[in-house]
Order: sequence, then C-alpha cells, then structure tokens
Amino acid sequence: MRQLFLLGAMALGLGIAVHCGAESCSAADEYDYDLVHSSVSFKARHLDISWIHGRFNEVSGKFSLDRENPAKSTFALTIKTASVDTANKARDAHLRQPDYFDTKQYPTIEFRSTSTKPIKGGYEVTGNFTMHGTTKKITLVLMGGKEHDFKKVKRVAFSTEISVKRSDYGFDKNAIGPIGDAALIMIDCEGVRK
Amino acid sequence: MPDPLLYLKAMGVAAIAGAVGGLAIVAAGRKGHAAWLRAACVFSVAAGLVVGYRLLALQLSWPPRNGLERFLWLIAPTILCVELLAAIPALPRWSAWALRVILALVLPRVLLHGSVYLGGTERAWPAWQAFLVIAASGFLLVGLWGLLTVLSRRLPGMFVPCTVQASTLCAGLTVMMAGYIKGGVAALVWAAALLTTILIVATITRNSSRLAEAGWPVLLGVGVVGLFSLVFIGRFFGELSTGNALMILLAPLLGGLAEVPWLKRRRPWFVSSVRSLLVAGVLLTVLILAKRKFDREMAPLLVDARQLTVAPTGWTIGPPRVDQVMRWFGSVA
Repeated sequence: MRQLFLLGAMALGLGIAVHCGAESCSAADEYDYDLVHSSVSFKARHLDISWIHGRFNEVSGKFSLDRENPAKSTFALTIKTASVDTANKARDAHLRQPDYFDTKQYPTIEFRSTSTKPIKGGYEVTGNFTMHGTTKKITLVLMGGKEHDFKKVKRVAFSTEISVKRSDYGFDKNAIGPIGDAALIMIDCEGVRK
Repeated sequence: MPDPLLYLKAMGVAAIAGAVGGLAIVAAGRKGHAAWLRAACVFSVAAGLVVGYRLLALQLSWPPRNGLERFLWLIAPTILCVELLAAIPALPRWSAWALRVILALVLPRVLLHGSVYLGGTERAWPAWQAFLVIAASGFLLVGLWGLLTVLSRRLPGMFVPCTVQASTLCAGLTVMMAGYIKGGVAALVWAAALLTTILIVATITRNSSRLAEAGWPVLLGVGVVGLFSLVFIGRFFGELSTGNALMILLAPLLGGLAEVPWLKRRRPWFVSSVRSLLVAGVLLTVLILAKRKFDREMAPLLVDARQLTVAPTGWTIGPPRVDQVMRWFGSVA
C-alpha cells in the first residue's frame, strides 16, 4: 500500500514537472499571418518621376514571439508572386512573365528569420530573403508588437519596409528601363494567435 | 523595355557572323565534301548565335536559372554537337537518329526543370500530369522532326528549312508581343542565324544535289529543336496560347498538303506558290491575332493610352498611324 502511494506521488510529481516544462516551452506565442487584416505592397519608380504601386494578394506566414527571451522569436513570410496586383490585368500578366517575376520558375518570395534582437518599439530581425531564386541576408526593422485581445483572440501587429534592388536578385538588367531598379516593399502584418 | 533597333542590329550581326563563320569552315575544308558542309552549318549557326546574343547583352547566368537559360546553355549546344557528330561519315546513321530521339524526349523535362510544373511548394501539376505532358511534348517533337525530315526528302531544296526558319521568326514575334521580350528576342536571333546558314547551303550546293542532301538535315535538326524549344518556353513560361503554339509548330508541315495528287500534277510554280501560301497564311494569321491582342492589352503599357485608337469593345480599329509608330520608336530609343 505504501509502495503504491509512493508510486502515485512520483507520478504526480513527474506530471507537474512535465507541465511546468511545457509552460516554459510555450512562453513563445505562435501567430498565424492574418491575410484579411494584413498587406504586402510595393512601389517602384516610373521614368524616375513617379511611383507605380502594387500589392501581393496571396501571402502566408507565421511568427513566434517570446517576450521573455526575444532572441528566441522567429518570423517567416511567404508571398505568392503570381498574386501580383497593380490594378492593371495586362501589366500583372506581364510582371508574371520571365522578364520580371518569372512566377512559373520562382513562385514565391520568402523571408525566414535567423536572429532577432529587441529594439525600442519593436524588433530588429535578421534573416534570409529569397526573391527570384536569389537569397540574401537582410535585416528588417519590425515596428510594433502591441498585443490586442479582440473577442478572446489575441492579435499582434508589425510594420516594416524593405528596399531592394531588382538587379541584386537576378532580374534581367535589360528589363530595367522606365521602371526603376529599386523597389520598396511595405509589409503591414497582423498575426492571430493559434 | 523593347528596343526594336537593337533587335534588328542583333539579327543583322548574327546573320553576318553566321555567314563569315560558315564560309570560313567551308573554305578551310575540302571542297564538295559533305562532312565539311555539315560542320560548316553547325559553326555558322553557332557563330551567329554567339555574336547576336553578345550584342544583345543577353543576361545568362550559370548554372541556368530558367527555361530560356537551360535552352541556351544546355539544349542549343547539345543539338549542335549531335549534328556535328552526325557529320562524321563513320558514324552509322541509326546512331545519329538515336541521339536525336533521346534529345527530343529529354528536352521538355530539361526545360521544365525546377519550375512549378514539376515540384516545390506551389506545384501546379500532379506527377502523372507532368509525366504525360513531358512524354506528349517529347513525342510531338520526335513526330514533327520525323515528318519534316520525310517532307524535306520529298521536297528537295530549301523550302522545308525555310518554313522552319519562318516559324521561328513568327514564334519570336508572337512570344514578344505576348509580353516575354527576352524569349522573343532569343528566337529572332536564332531565326537570323538559321536564315544565313540556309542561304550559304543553298548557294554552295546549287550545282550539287548530293551535297545539298547532306546540308539540309543539319539545318532541319537545329531549326526544329530551336523552334520547338522557344515555343515550349513561350507556352509554359510566357503567355503564348496553346492554339498559337500548335499553329506555329505545325505550320511547316502544311507544305506537305501540296503533295495531294490533284495539286501535284499542276505546274511547278503553282504548286510552289500554294505550298508557300499555306505556310505563310497560317503564320500571318498567328501574327495578326498576336498583334491584335498586343494592341488590346500590352500597347497601352508602352505608349500613352490616349494615342491608341481603341473601339469600345477594346479592339483596335486599325493599324497604328505612322506618327504613332514613330512616337513609339522615339520613346524606346
């Protein structure tokens, strides 16, 4: 009887230990990219006098936020290049072709974080940015991170901008004419906790 | 941004380089020797392509990253090597054909490599569909190549290689008007290099049908593989429609319709005219359809939309005026 009691006590202790361990592991909150309340847009110079604006309509991603140990936070974003939308169907079709995004060969633009550092008002996230089959290490300044509970669903949001040169990512230099080489990608991302 | 003057220059330079390269090989070799003529054809096309693409400053990365680069880095040198090997008199004819068939069957898989059609997270086709498309495309190329070879034996002379060259030119313009400029330009230079080689062979072999029979298969092989690859790339990576792609590919076969008995008995000039008109008619139809689509969809991106004469349905009423064309050239020069 006494042995049975000891065994029960050990099992209870083990259960509590496992539960505590799990608690410490889940200190990072997992979020899914909320397509409805987020946007990935871009703009590029036209004839060096104005800007052409566009957006990507199909984006997915997830991030985990560890408030206690921010260095453990991770961010990932995948943009479907075929979803490019500049409010002109013919131009969108042209942009999907191999002279530009080459969506049949490179269907996605991706970012995967490798390190995260807290800064005032957000995070400085370094990671691998892959576009048009070329991967480069870049650092994003994610501003925001404020949490909001709406109908018992926890949300958090970040904003950032990335300035890229198309020629750095293997885009055809001959196709860089009236449309400038540099492009600015603007990401406003809202995450919903899983 | 399209630069028509640069494309014309590249085509001209490719033609000249092809002529110089081909004639140099012919001059260095034994006069009237079939193997030398075949080698001259290969070097002529190669010289034209290298110089033409060089002038265009065509950006090609290694390892190849897309369909066009795989064609220019892998397929084009391979077909030139296969035809060069086929020029070796000691090599049995069946082995040359075996190499050609293997190349034709492998070609679609090589061009689609790494694309959404074959794998990745955004995979467009299931494995069975990819296999079917690759197999069907490979056999289409084998069939086209075989039929054109048979046709070129029945219609001696430069007619069949010329129709392949004209189809390549049409493919280039159509792919370009569909929005894939780099792919279209590559085809234009290919067509120019092929044309100059056809003219060299026609000139050198005008008094020797035996010698001509040695030259045409080389040009047919290089021409058919180039045509098929560029159309395939335009269809699967660009916006070339399946209908237009098939019309361009099959147009050279229409010359065979002039072989029907009731037409064949007519005067030679009449038969030749019908044959040429059949091929040209199909290619012109493709070009007109492509031009109308271009006017409707792409032209407004290149010029001020207010300069276009567009009907309420979105169809262009007529050809562009001279001042519109000049303005367009001015804007891209």
